Amino acid sequence: MKTSYVSNLAIQSAMRLTIQQNQTELLKLTQEQTTGRHYDVGLALGATASRSLNLQRELDRLNSMKSTNSVVTQRLSGSQGALETMAKAAEKVRDTLVTYKGNDAATQLKIQKTEIMGALQTFTAAANTSFNGEFLFSGINTDAKPIADYATTPPSAAKTAFDNALSTFMAAQVPPLTGMEQFSVTQMQDFIKNTVEPMFTGTGWDANWSDASSQNMTSRISASEVIESSTNANTKGFRMFALASVISAELMDKNVTPEVRSAIGVAALDYVEQGIAGLNAERSSLGISEARVKKANTSIDAQLKLVNTHVADIEGVDPIETSTRINTLKVQLETSYTLTSRLQQMSLLNFL
Amino acid sequence: MSLSSAISIAQQAFSNTAQQTAIVSKNIANAGNADYSRRLALLGSTPNGAQVVSIYRAQNEALLKQNIASIGEASGQARLRDGLELLKSALGGNDYETAPSKLLSDFRNSLQTLAATPGNKTIAATAVSDAQDLADSLNKTSTTVQDLREDADKEIAIEVGKLNSLLADFERANNAVKSATALGGDASDALDERDKILKQVSEIIGISTTTRGNNDMVIFTTDGTVLFENIPRQVTFAPTTTYDATVTGNKIFVDGVPIAAGTGADTTAKGKLASLVQLRDDIAPKFQSQLDEIARGLVELFKEGNPSGVPPIPYQPGLFTWGSAGIPAAGVVVPGLAAKITVNAMAKANPLLLRDGGFNGVVSNPGGAANPSPGYTALIDGFINKMGENMSFDPSTGLDGTSSLLNFATGSVGWLEQTRKTASTADDNKQAMLSRTQEALSKQTGVSIDEELSLLLDLEQSYKASAKLVSTVDAMMAALMEAVR
Repeated sequence: MKTSYVSNLAIQSAMRLTIQQNQTELLKLTQEQTTGRHYDVGLALGATASRSLNLQRELDRLNSMKSTNSVVTQRLSGSQGALETMAKAAEKVRDTLVTYKGNDAATQLKIQKTEIMGALQTFTAAANTSFNGEFLFSGINTDAKPIADYATTPPSAAKTAFDNALSTFMAAQVPPLTGMEQFSVTQMQDFIKNTVEPMFTGTGWDANWSDASSQNMTSRISASEVIESSTNANTKGFRMFALASVISAELMDKNVTPEVRSAIGVAALDYVEQGIAGLNAERSSLGISEARVKKANTSIDAQLKLVNTHVADIEGVDPIETSTRINTLKVQLETSYTLTSRLQQMSLLNFL
Repeated sequence: MSLSSAISIAQQAFSNTAQQTAIVSKNIANAGNADYSRRLALLGSTPNGAQVVSIYRAQNEALLKQNIASIGEASGQARLRDGLELLKSALGGNDYETAPSKLLSDFRNSLQTLAATPGNKTIAATAVSDAQDLADSLNKTSTTVQDLREDADKEIAIEVGKLNSLLADFERANNAVKSATALGGDASDALDERDKILKQVSEIIGISTTTRGNNDMVIFTTDGTVLFENIPRQVTFAPTTTYDATVTGNKIFVDGVPIAAGTGADTTAKGKLASLVQLRDDIAPKFQSQLDEIARGLVELFKEGNPSGVPPIPYQPGLFTWGSAGIPAAGVVVPGLAAKITVNAMAKANPLLLRDGGFNGVVSNPGGAANPSPGYTALIDGFINKMGENMSFDPSTGLDGTSSLLNFATGSVGWLEQTRKTASTADDNKQAMLSRTQEALSKQTGVSIDEELSLLLDLEQSYKASAKLVSTVDAMMAALMEAVR
């Protein structure tokens, strides 16, 4: 028995196996070269596949957060724009009140009323701004129009309520008042302070003016941060502005004594100032939210970059290494083709 | 010695050459047959010259045994790997498009989108349909797992049938070997046949063999049970036709002794049967239990109720239902839950229930069920948060007992991939081992045509020489006759 015995079958299957293995390897490498990832990611990573999936999930989440953040940003900047309009309307009311202070001429008072009603309308329109099908100042009641129009025919609930309050107040005085000119300064101040103001700060506001919810919308802007992304028409700024507009528009052009009118003016001015301050407070709190969204976006971008790099590190293949290996394999494969055909030709049979 | 004896020796040489040429031609004919062992006609000296005394059959017991062992290991490992590949393909390609973990993450993203625009019914409907996709993926993956078990069971039945018929063939071949050996005849063909059957048997079940007098062979399984001694032992198996997570398959018995299942991803299984049992009873059920836990986690996360309210409302399934009332106990796997989980029909009718609550009479929306606030996000945000928070899972799943639902889902993929990776590497190694032993055996027992051809040349020469001898003796005889006449 010869120890170095080699059978034809052994030679053939050895050559066949070599070619087979090379071809499989070449197929994998070609795909890796074109996709830049492992041929079979799961097989290459094993248990690390779960880490890779976690990172992919993080990527998806960050991307989705970026797009939802853009909705939040738009809502916030829409709210800011509307609040600015409202603040301007409030300033207009203030300016009007200051300009027409001490003016008792009927024509002037009429102009003053028109100005104030105009400002109230601008204000209402801005408060009812909707964006993307949602009312911006409705809190979470985004499908409800937050502020009802005041000057409407038939008279709005707010107007009716005010008129009723006025007549009830007059009738309740001792002796009962039968005309506006009979109001004393004290009575007027009492009426404004204790009858009208509660209609705007209490439940009357919800009944007659606002359908908004006091609960603001909240939005998650990063994995750990939730912000209030809207404000609502029940905040002090809105109430005070409406209060100031109503008393100045409804009472000042009435037939009241100049002293009473001046007292109304003082009260209205005080309320409108409170309204402006309130609106500005809302603007700045939304501004804080805007800044936080911006910061969150910056950090999301940074995280995206980082996670992307991680994923590429885990799943990616080195293209230079792959192409080198492909070249080597090509040479090997060609060699084994040549060898196979040479060896197949080599047979004693050819020499007999 | 005489001229006539010279003639008779030369005649014997013709007969020898003829026999040897027949052997050479048989060798050449079987050059490509892996189950054929090379033969050689051995000559012995007799008073009448040389004679073919025996047929030598090239064989190497040690290499054959090694070959048989590596066939068993490679076939077991390859079957395990195939099964794992099938499970992986249920999860999609390189991006795991259809894996529950991926759809879970998509679902969370759509909840996130809904939280940004909670008043949009279309987006709510999208979130519910993503939930549906997630439930479908769990159902489908669970079905694939159970199909795998069912197919394994069927394959076991087929392989057991094949094994029994192979053992019957083996009995015939073994008897032929025994009688040929006892009678001193040429047992080569019967031996070839027997070795071939042995290789086929070892693909199905791991075996070891011992040879006794008269070349009688006894087969043991690697577990130590007798598979063949004089007569084949009966291998029995009762198939189970339908599988779900609660069904346990039957064992395979060899002569009444159950076959042990393989263990580990680099499996201890030798032969297909052990690794099929491993797939059916170990790997697939474990993956199923992980799916069940993901499904249970979903039912638990989206449950709804208010046990501390007046009157208390016990927790009931919310967005995800599982065909039964109540919430399954935390941290305990419920077999088959992944196959049962569905999206609540109420959510399909009114997707905004996802935002407001109210599946079970607990409306979280401050506006109430009749007039819900469209901008309410606290409930959705709570869901989003809870998906990332730790909860407890059954440790029998082989995964982290305390992790977030999202991480548990990806952990399950990681477990499968790690198992597949180990199995694949082991498969490569065992295949390499197999081709190595096959090559070694083939080098020893296979046919080399060159060698046979050179032998043929020798035979040709010897034939010519004998012919020459006969004609010379004939000439001599003729000369003698001439002298006598």
